[in-house]
Amino acid sequence: MELLITALGLYALGTLAIIWPKRLELAAHYTAMWLATGASLMVLWVACQFLGQAGWGMPIYNDTIWQLGRYSLVLDSWSAAFLLIIGLSGAAVSIYGIGYGRGYLGSRIRQLAGLWNLFIGSMVMVVLAGDAFTFILAWEVMALVSFLLVNHESEKKQVVHAAYQYMVMTHIGTAAILIAFYILGGGADSFAFKDLAHSELTLPLQHLAFGCAFAGFALKSGLMPLHVWLPNAHPAAPSHVSALMSGVMLKVAVYGFGRFVFEFIGAEVLGYGLVVMVIGLLSAFLGVLYASMEKDMKRILAYSSVENMGIIFAAFGCGMVLTALGHSRLAMVAFTAVLVHSVAHSLMKCLLFMSAGSVMHATGTRNIEKLGALAEKMPWTAAFTFVGSMSLASLPFTAGLAGEWLTLQSMMTLAFQAASTELRLLVIFAFVLLGLTGALALGCFVRLYGVAFLGRRRSGLVLKAHEMPFSMLLGMGIEAVAIIIVGVMPAPLVNIMRNVLLVDGEAMPGGNFLGIWWDGGQSVALFSPWLILLLAGVLIALLCAALISRKIVVTQDVTWNCGTEPTRRQQYTATGFSKPLRRAFDFILKPRRERVFLQREHAYFGRKLQYNLQIPDQFTDRLYRPVQHVLIRSAEILRKLQQGSVRLYIGYTMLAMVVVLLWGAM
Amino acid sequence: MVMDIMIAAGQAVLLLCLAPLIVGIINKTKAILQKRQGASVFQEYFDLWKWWQKPVIVTKYCSWVFLAAPVVYLATSIMAAMMLPGLLQNGLRLGDAFVFVYILALGRFFMTLGSMDSATAFGGMGGSREIYISVLVEPAVMLAILVNAARYGSTTLSQMVIDYNAFYFTVPAVMAGVAFFLVMLAENSRLPVDNPDTHLELTMIHECMTLEYSGRLLTFIHWGSMLKILSFLVLFGALYMPLPLPIAVKVLLSAVLIGLVETLNNKMRLFKVRVYLSAAVVMLAVAFIAQ
Repeated sequence: MELLITALGLYALGTLAIIWPKRLELAAHYTAMWLATGASLMVLWVACQFLGQAGWGMPIYNDTIWQLGRYSLVLDSWSAAFLLIIGLSGAAVSIYGIGYGRGYLGSRIRQLAGLWNLFIGSMVMVVLAGDAFTFILAWEVMALVSFLLVNHESEKKQVVHAAYQYMVMTHIGTAAILIAFYILGGGADSFAFKDLAHSELTLPLQHLAFGCAFAGFALKSGLMPLHVWLPNAHPAAPSHVSALMSGVMLKVAVYGFGRFVFEFIGAEVLGYGLVVMVIGLLSAFLGVLYASMEKDMKRILAYSSVENMGIIFAAFGCGMVLTALGHSRLAMVAFTAVLVHSVAHSLMKCLLFMSAGSVMHATGTRNIEKLGALAEKMPWTAAFTFVGSMSLASLPFTAGLAGEWLTLQSMMTLAFQAASTELRLLVIFAFVLLGLTGALALGCFVRLYGVAFLGRRRSGLVLKAHEMPFSMLLGMGIEAVAIIIVGVMPAPLVNIMRNVLLVDGEAMPGGNFLGIWWDGGQSVALFSPWLILLLAGVLIALLCAALISRKIVVTQDVTWNCGTEPTRRQQYTATGFSKPLRRAFDFILKPRRERVFLQREHAYFGRKLQYNLQIPDQFTDRLYRPVQHVLIRSAEILRKLQQGSVRLYIGYTMLAMVVVLLWGAM
Repeated sequence: MVMDIMIAAGQAVLLLCLAPLIVGIINKTKAILQKRQGASVFQEYFDLWKWWQKPVIVTKYCSWVFLAAPVVYLATSIMAAMMLPGLLQNGLRLGDAFVFVYILALGRFFMTLGSMDSATAFGGMGGSREIYISVLVEPAVMLAILVNAARYGSTTLSQMVIDYNAFYFTVPAVMAGVAFFLVMLAENSRLPVDNPDTHLELTMIHECMTLEYSGRLLTFIHWGSMLKILSFLVLFGALYMPLPLPIAVKVLLSAVLIGLVETLNNKMRLFKVRVYLSAAVVMLAVAFIAQ
């Protein structure tokens, strides 16, 4: 446990890069990034060591690692599971950051590197916090530091706008969590987590506490309709920061929510699980639907984060519903799914944000309509992105399917237990939305990879593209290899993650040499990815042998194009690719199309068109704009009270005094 | 384990050999119903052999994905065929019904990427429409799995094989069967969703993606999709057809039924497919609630 304190110390040391002299700024950057890498590896080591001991259950508080008055740091298995995510992705992205951060030489690189350390350190602190004060303190540091990091390129107006939007939203979330803690603390001896766990709440207060906690953590994890900041803030940050925000910080919210559900509030009320599940499912579907419409690479990834957090929360809600129905053993598959998918999403989202960063670094754009044929210029980056895309489409051999499969199994377990028509309708809703989500995710990443990396170049920007330096490739490579290892051999991860919640050797989803299994129904469901890989390998080898066994003539020529030479502009664009989906779901998306004739000599020829398409986020338009409008209106009315005249203020004071005196007299 | 794999491999080889024949039977049925003489039922074998011997022309702009796509597509179809229950034995347990779906999704992932790699409007169009159809099909597929899995308490394919004693021509069984038939037509690019006979760009979805392939690569794709049709027919027969008949008869019967449906229906507009598949979803939902 000394190792964890050392790691926190290293993060603190790395933060000092901010005050290094300006002429040593490159040295400051390297030192800070290496410190972050080292400290993250230590965190990873501690987490692995802790999770490696079998039989740990959730509520274990004998591992207080640091205490100062009210403030304490505590390590238990639920925190250790998330330390694993922070450590692994933190280390990989820090290695990537060594190369990527150099691009910020001369524009506040010391701040970037220093705050980077503080950011990872604060996330570790949140996960380790043993009482509400430490939790809120670390949570606020995390929020503020990530705000500063989002705002790093503050020369751009868009970035500043996104950063302040993020700041406002995240503080609303913090306020909600504070209220939840306050209510809980009212029924407990102290604000230490072990006392909060015994908090006695009457029912309406408990509902309120749950509502506030869910709102706060849902906001931080970008669930709809509280997601509006996410697709703006994540793309605005420097790419390695986006990777960490999407891949790791969103999981910290899952950690907090789990802490509330498992220990403080409990999942005995059926309604809680239903709300979480339905919101999760809707976020998953709408998130990926918007992701399939975007053409900004980082916005696609940001919306895809909304989708994956939705899947994680849907599984969480499913587990809560099962618990409320009295099947706490069966609920374990859902909670295992939550943890496995959290790890998987962390790996793949960090990887793809890093590759988006590399593409931006190489071409200067993140608009996929201007890319194309990058696989030729950046073979390694393209290969890593391919792995990440496969994983986000949850295909076999990748970590994505392990999480997705467990999620589907937990929904199916709920289906086996669903006796009433209402629950059956919920299950149908879940499977329809998960089906749509899965297929849309596949389409979304086919589109991303196909448009950006395959085909022919779509603009001159691709010409100057080049492969990335070694450190950046290494960062991406670590994540890609981890995705494949987890995808092919999911058993160890599944076993570790179910041990996190294991209570007295109950039957659990598990892994063995065959793969992963779950016996939620009348027989065991099995998924053995390595066997699939083996079989696929043999089949592909055989087919390749058939393909090249005899002399066959292979000629290269231009693509057939009705007898003409195809031009680059005849390729399908990303916007065109998603057109059928846009039309099929136009009742949700409400796209705004505008066609302007710049020149029109004849009805059919000699015309010049300009075509504008916008898909505004419906939540921003229909939910946030009216609220914002009302707020500004009421502020305008209140402004009439503030006239700046001293006499008026004296009058107000008088009035207040009279009111107080009267009140006192009564 | 080794024995299981050998049997499953035998099953895959058997299905691979029979797949062109089944497509030939569908085509012959259509020809007879349309008062044409039609090609021989063995025509698809001749076609495959013809493409097999032809030289391969590869577009200049493509990357490795273009070449890998047909190989992966056929490999995933073969793996799916090996997993089928109700034929030789219980099928190879690579995973449950969800894994079956995701293995086919791997083939689709590669095919659509391959189509985009050819860098023209045709490939992208095919890929785009394929994704569109697959998005609409997927909820129905999930519900089809749900109906049978909830009925038998398992998502393992061999456990989901229909039990005639308990579910002989009940309303949920018939509804699930009809709905799965609709899903099967959409999933395998048949009429009324896609027209397998033409290369006209207004109708083509699957054919559009294969446009740039030739020679042995084309053989792989066509063989893969024939195998996929046969696999779905077997799955339909084993899991969703509430008739106590031997599996071979069921497959022949449903092949003739496809021929009939394709003769009686026109290709529907691309954006009408939404309604068509919603009908399948509703039927499956009713089947799940009613059972």
